[in-house]
Amino acid sequence: MAAYLVSVLNGLAMGSLLFAIALGLSLVFGMMDVLNLAHGAIYLAGAYLAVALLPGDDVGMGTFVLAVLAAAAVGAILGGVLAGLTRATPGHLDQALLTLGVSLVVAELLSVAFGEEVHAIAAPAPFDGGVPVLGETYPAYRLLVIGFGAVLAVAVYLLIERSRFGSLIRATVADRAMVSALGINTGLVLTGVFAAGAALAAAGGVLAGPILGAQPGLDEKVLLLALVVVVIGGLGSVRGALLGAVLIGQVQALGTSLLPEYASFLIFVAMALVLLLRPAGLLPPRTAVRT
Amino acid sequence: MSVRAFRSMRPAAAVAALVTGILALSGCGGSSLSQSGDTQSSGPVKIGLLVPLSGVYAQLGQDMRDGFKLYLDQHGGKLGGHTVDVVTADEGEGPQTGVPAAQKLVNQDHVSAVAGVVNSATALGLRDFFDESKVPLLVANAGADDITGARKSLYVWRTSFANGKVAGALGPTVVKEASGPVYLIAADYAAGREMVAGFRKTFVAAGGKVAGEEYSPFGKTQDYQPFLSKIRTSGAKAVFAFYAGAEAVSFVKQYQQFGLADRIPLYGTGFLTEGGALAAQGKAAVGVKTSLHYSTELNTPRNTEFVAAYSKAYSKSPTVYAVQAYDTAAVLDKALAKASGGEKLATALTGVGPIDSPRGRWSFDADHDAQQQYYLREVRAGSGDTFVNAVVGDLS
Repeated sequence: MAAYLVSVLNGLAMGSLLFAIALGLSLVFGMMDVLNLAHGAIYLAGAYLAVALLPGDDVGMGTFVLAVLAAAAVGAILGGVLAGLTRATPGHLDQALLTLGVSLVVAELLSVAFGEEVHAIAAPAPFDGGVPVLGETYPAYRLLVIGFGAVLAVAVYLLIERSRFGSLIRATVADRAMVSALGINTGLVLTGVFAAGAALAAAGGVLAGPILGAQPGLDEKVLLLALVVVVIGGLGSVRGALLGAVLIGQVQALGTSLLPEYASFLIFVAMALVLLLRPAGLLPPRTAVRT
Repeated sequence: MSVRAFRSMRPAAAVAALVTGILALSGCGGSSLSQSGDTQSSGPVKIGLLVPLSGVYAQLGQDMRDGFKLYLDQHGGKLGGHTVDVVTADEGEGPQTGVPAAQKLVNQDHVSAVAGVVNSATALGLRDFFDESKVPLLVANAGADDITGARKSLYVWRTSFANGKVAGALGPTVVKEASGPVYLIAADYAAGREMVAGFRKTFVAAGGKVAGEEYSPFGKTQDYQPFLSKIRTSGAKAVFAFYAGAEAVSFVKQYQQFGLADRIPLYGTGFLTEGGALAAQGKAAVGVKTSLHYSTELNTPRNTEFVAAYSKAYSKSPTVYAVQAYDTAAVLDKALAKASGGEKLATALTGVGPIDSPRGRWSFDADHDAQQQYYLREVRAGSGDTFVNAVVGDLS
């Protein structure tokens, strides 16, 4: 039983990371109708930035936080550029091709710069050991990640659901034309959200570093998971992204310990079930009234 | 063939040569005709090097290319007295890229032999092609048991290892060292299952007990916590694991992070802690014991000299993959001295005898597989910030 509870805890850690990564993807998809396939590459850029800034086995908390902030800045710049590029490109297919191309270029540049081998990133100093949880040793860093996920969820909830800027974002998701008719520069809102989402993805790359490391090909795995989270939660929905991330985290951790033989398709079973029962996702954003 | 060579021939030989030339032009002959088994010939030969230069195995491919090239550089660019023209092709991640690349080397570049191949599925898919084309293939890494053995071909040889053998070498030792049942875990694909099967066979035969057996989804598992919890609750006193590359890094690191490393000794095949994986695992890997046919720490003059030369040439430590490719070049060196292509070259491989390798002396067995010493290695801190696979004993 204790083993399953530890799995639940672990699912929360993975869910926290997935939430940070998938949130930007979901909002950009919901607001701009842009499927940003470069989202995984931005994550990977963050992970490699951690490799460059945090060498060795001993990392202090201060430098770790600096690396997270630096990654967020790099992510925001990349996101801003991508927002400009996709806004200049009409049509879904063109945007998908554009972001896919950008992701290939970024991934290739990273593998030229850092090589093909796997890089590990050490957890910051006070959290690099294990703590006893229910009689098992549990890595302290993962508890930190869960804490970060909780703080992020609350902060995003307050920002999106309770602030004026948040209502602007939600309104833009619901009906972009109407918001712009009210005299609000939706382009600025869109670019801002795109940049913020990319910043979160890159910061997620640093945060996930001590768990997932950095290696070529990780961008695709992370993008796939983030897409599953977005589809399950509902496009453009913050609460949906949170629910989807926690759900996928649990399916991966608890599902694997209960049904190890089916571990590789459990996520897709979950996604198929959600699509059958709630095709718009579990918590789709409230949309404009269409009559 | 130069004009002067024609002039020096007796008329009958010249006619024969002309007929040969016409046959070759009409497509009945192959490139091997012009160089068929003449021991005195020192014309250039083309050798195909089929290694992954992109994808998940790119690092292995790089090591193999470096190892092969080191042997050539040490021998003046010659193998068996022939100047060697190495044609490199990218094997990619699997058969869908590896098989066409091999076909291109044989059909377009007309190489005399192909060396390399990391992926077992690619090697298995190429077996019939090389057998029918009558071009020797020297497998320098792919470990599937069926590449040699039951379906062996005169044209397919392996200078590396068979999955079952490298894992099997560890069985009796784990029985001796473990104080109770052993848990088996591996990535869920052909190599993982062959490794576990090979280990289980010798382990159970020596009186060992299995505490449990689990396979994690290959290439999709980033978090091993559910598996690690199972190991802990199974009451196992030791673990045998097979992972390689990125998965080896995640598994060994998490094995330590979840506190298992202090309580349950971890054993595995050497790929668990080899090359780049060990560098990324760092101190998390200390104490992991593995079986492999090579370690940079082998204390023999041959290996010391090899490690020094390799480190000087590429400013990094060699890996088992580099040694396998290096030895493949050594095998070709011996065989090409007797014949330069086709069936004669394949036959020459039968008689290359023992190879004096950095891994120790080894030779081909009746199955066309490397008959070699396996070593018990343990990860220890090396000089500075590095970690090494110290050799703590001989296996089998």
